[in-house]
Amino acid sequence: MTPPLAAAVTGESPAPAVELVGIGKRFGAVVANDGVDLVLRRGSVHAVMGENGAGKSTLMSMLFGLLKPDSGEIHVDGVPVQFDGPLDAIAAGLGMVHQHFRLFDSMTVADNVVYGAEPTRAGLIDRRAAAARVRELSERYGLETEPTAVVGSLSAGARQRVEILKALHRDARILILDEPTAVLTPSEVTSLFTVIRRAADAGTTVVLVTHKIHEVLAVSDEVTVLRDGRVTGRFATSEATSASLVHAMTGREIDEVRNPGTGTTGAVALEVDHVTVGDPRTPAVHDVSLTVHRGEIVGVAGVSGNGQHELVAAVLGTVQAASGRIRLLGEEVGGRSVRDRRAAGLAVIPEDRRGEGTAVTLSVAENVTLGHHRTAPIGASKGLRRGWMSIRAELARARELIADYDVRTSGEQQPIGALSGGNAQKVVIARELSHGAPVLIAEQPTQGVDVGAIESIHQRLLDYRAGGGAVLLVSHEISELLALADRIVVMYSGRVVAEFSAAEATTARIGAAMAGAAEAAAAPEAAPDTAPAPADTPAPEPETDRTP
Amino acid sequence: MTSTPTKPQPRARRLLATALRHPAVVPLGAVVLALLIGAVIIAAAGLDPLTAYAAVLEGSLDPRQLDYTFSVWGFICGMALAAAIPLRMGEFNLGGNGQMVLGGLTAAWVALNVPLPGILLVPLAVLAAAIVAGGFGALSAPLATRFGIPIIISTLLLSPIAVAVVSYLLRFQIGEAGSAVAQTPRLPEQGRMWALGDLSYSNTGLLVIIAMMVAFYVVDSRSAVGFELRVVGANRRFGAYGGVRVGRLAFGAMAAAGAAAGIVGAIIVMSSPYRLIDGALISPGYTFAGLAAALLAGGRPALIPVTAILFTILQVGGASMERSADVPRQLSDVLQGVVIVVLALRTVLDQRRTERSSA
Repeated sequence: MTPPLAAAVTGESPAPAVELVGIGKRFGAVVANDGVDLVLRRGSVHAVMGENGAGKSTLMSMLFGLLKPDSGEIHVDGVPVQFDGPLDAIAAGLGMVHQHFRLFDSMTVADNVVYGAEPTRAGLIDRRAAAARVRELSERYGLETEPTAVVGSLSAGARQRVEILKALHRDARILILDEPTAVLTPSEVTSLFTVIRRAADAGTTVVLVTHKIHEVLAVSDEVTVLRDGRVTGRFATSEATSASLVHAMTGREIDEVRNPGTGTTGAVALEVDHVTVGDPRTPAVHDVSLTVHRGEIVGVAGVSGNGQHELVAAVLGTVQAASGRIRLLGEEVGGRSVRDRRAAGLAVIPEDRRGEGTAVTLSVAENVTLGHHRTAPIGASKGLRRGWMSIRAELARARELIADYDVRTSGEQQPIGALSGGNAQKVVIARELSHGAPVLIAEQPTQGVDVGAIESIHQRLLDYRAGGGAVLLVSHEISELLALADRIVVMYSGRVVAEFSAAEATTARIGAAMAGAAEAAAAPEAAPDTAPAPADTPAPEPETDRTP
Repeated sequence: MTSTPTKPQPRARRLLATALRHPAVVPLGAVVLALLIGAVIIAAAGLDPLTAYAAVLEGSLDPRQLDYTFSVWGFICGMALAAAIPLRMGEFNLGGNGQMVLGGLTAAWVALNVPLPGILLVPLAVLAAAIVAGGFGALSAPLATRFGIPIIISTLLLSPIAVAVVSYLLRFQIGEAGSAVAQTPRLPEQGRMWALGDLSYSNTGLLVIIAMMVAFYVVDSRSAVGFELRVVGANRRFGAYGGVRVGRLAFGAMAAAGAAAGIVGAIIVMSSPYRLIDGALISPGYTFAGLAAALLAGGRPALIPVTAILFTILQVGGASMERSADVPRQLSDVLQGVVIVVLALRTVLDQRRTERSSA
């Protein structure tokens, strides 16, 4: 169980860095992993792909000691191991960067990196040694960071670098990255890939858990594809194609959905008029105006944290705008309750599925019922039955939607927290679309959702538009916006800094605007003072300007 | 050696693991643990735990005592409602004492001063108690929504004020003149709870409390408001996002909780000895026992009558334990306390588990 000396890494060892043999894991009736074999070659970048619920996270949790396999064996450097927890895995040379960061926001980068394995002098933490260690690691791997910065003030990309440093500090020879690009800007993704390559060249074995095909093709050496808990494909990346990977992930070819663009838009459905949200000195949303017409999808591009979420919250009414007007179908709704605004014709697919979009301990049926519980067929808006619910109608409607949206669940009474992220998202989407509201706000509707489900969600949004719905689509995925939107506005630092028609929009132009580069030609609205500081830093990170 | 597809995981072990995750395990475990700790305390005092517990059971389940046991069960159930209704939406009502005392005072005042026949006077007194105590409980909701004072804090701090005011009124304003004890005069015949047959402790008040529990069960499981309570209790942000008016819901829940406590106070005052006596509503500890019962039931309406039985046995049997086994009745409070601590621990552990599983 003792890991071999680090020196052995450089030598040509016959055993692969990690070998998983016949791993199986069940959760009640759900088979998460079934006889999974996985070989990680030393110094390679190995992508583990699969749709949501395919068993990627479960597999990685077992490799990192968070879960125990029901069957099968794990070998590290050819030695069979049994992990009783992550500490065992770390001791064996594994490191994991989770999708949701596990950092202390109020502490510095250096403190976070060395936490749990602090350099000490005379029994006290040696802060200078810690900072030096962080500098040394960040230079060696090209992970730019400032050891004395407070983590809470950093952008998502910078926090991720801290997580990677944390693993490297503990001499991780096998680095697991779980969906690492979900929170990054395009330029941050590029620099992450550089880091990954550099770490691999230095002998570190990198496992990249993802469902994004272009990332796999861009950075990995080998690919293992999972579907329904089983391995459905193994490729050397040089021989893989998008089509072959999609086929292995979904078992079918994907026709990418596109907005047909027959732009016959109707009346204005949603009007945001000079809205500011938050403290007027440092507003989260600064004087934003935009309109969405019936039969139109307006995309809001932007790196997470540039005011998109606060804008949505102000329209929904969970946060009150500091100034400005919000009109739904011509009716002023500022200052009204969420219930009134929803009744006036608004539905929202929220970004934070676990925190806002669902109650994880409640059943699928209850989750799909909220907002429909006072209207037919479940409730009644008038008469004797007003205020009462029909449980039978609730369950019947839930079963119908589960079938309609292909939600994989053991039944409508199962707690939604037991579902995979993609399936939970389908429940959220089913609930909101079934309002048939004239205005729909879709915030990251395909976040953490697998390829097959993305396509069907996109198709539903387009159907919604075709049916005369007005859709405000907030997304960090430029490709998603390009595929669906009739118009795209870009938010940066709480302002709308650019607007493109579908014809004008390109990945490069949107990406530049997202990174805060003023693109005067395409953004006539962007006043000079909205232009951010010129990008003289190598990796533009909009959020770092919050650093005190 | 490399291919061991099905490592013989004993079926029994897996079954056990599943069984351990059953939602009833922690509450039952809490009770067992409390009894064990109680046994250690009794043994440490040089007494025999078995004799003591036997005395508890005998005292509470003695057929001649059942009438009294049932009346206590009713009061504990009533106070459990006062805790469980807000608990359903994730709020803690620790102000049961104040609400109960205000209800008792109101009922006593109505019964003493309103000249009506009993058929009208009794319902009126109960209703008035519910309104006053409900209003007092509901006060905490705007304090939370407008001023950000958590309900758990405001109920806890407002309660002693109400208790003190009632105590003052009893001593110096409306108390019976010439009495050594601060108490109201005896309520007139028409202002007393109707008897149930020839039972001397349980009366129609018990039926009122059972009716309240049935109503809570139905509202909780069948009504839009009950659904919203559960949604907000499970995830407040989810409720707000879905259009639940959380402030109004809290107002309603606290009003209902206060009303339940007020009705309990009214029933106690309108039962033998038919007076409001200073401190007599609080000293039996129905509020705390009710809170413990509600927590043990996890706020679930159907379980409250069951968990209330446990605390009734402790409460009623505690007195006979003191008499026949020489163990002070305060041990009942210790056991209640242990149950609450274990349940609170569960909440913390649950949170940790969710955090881990969301990896």
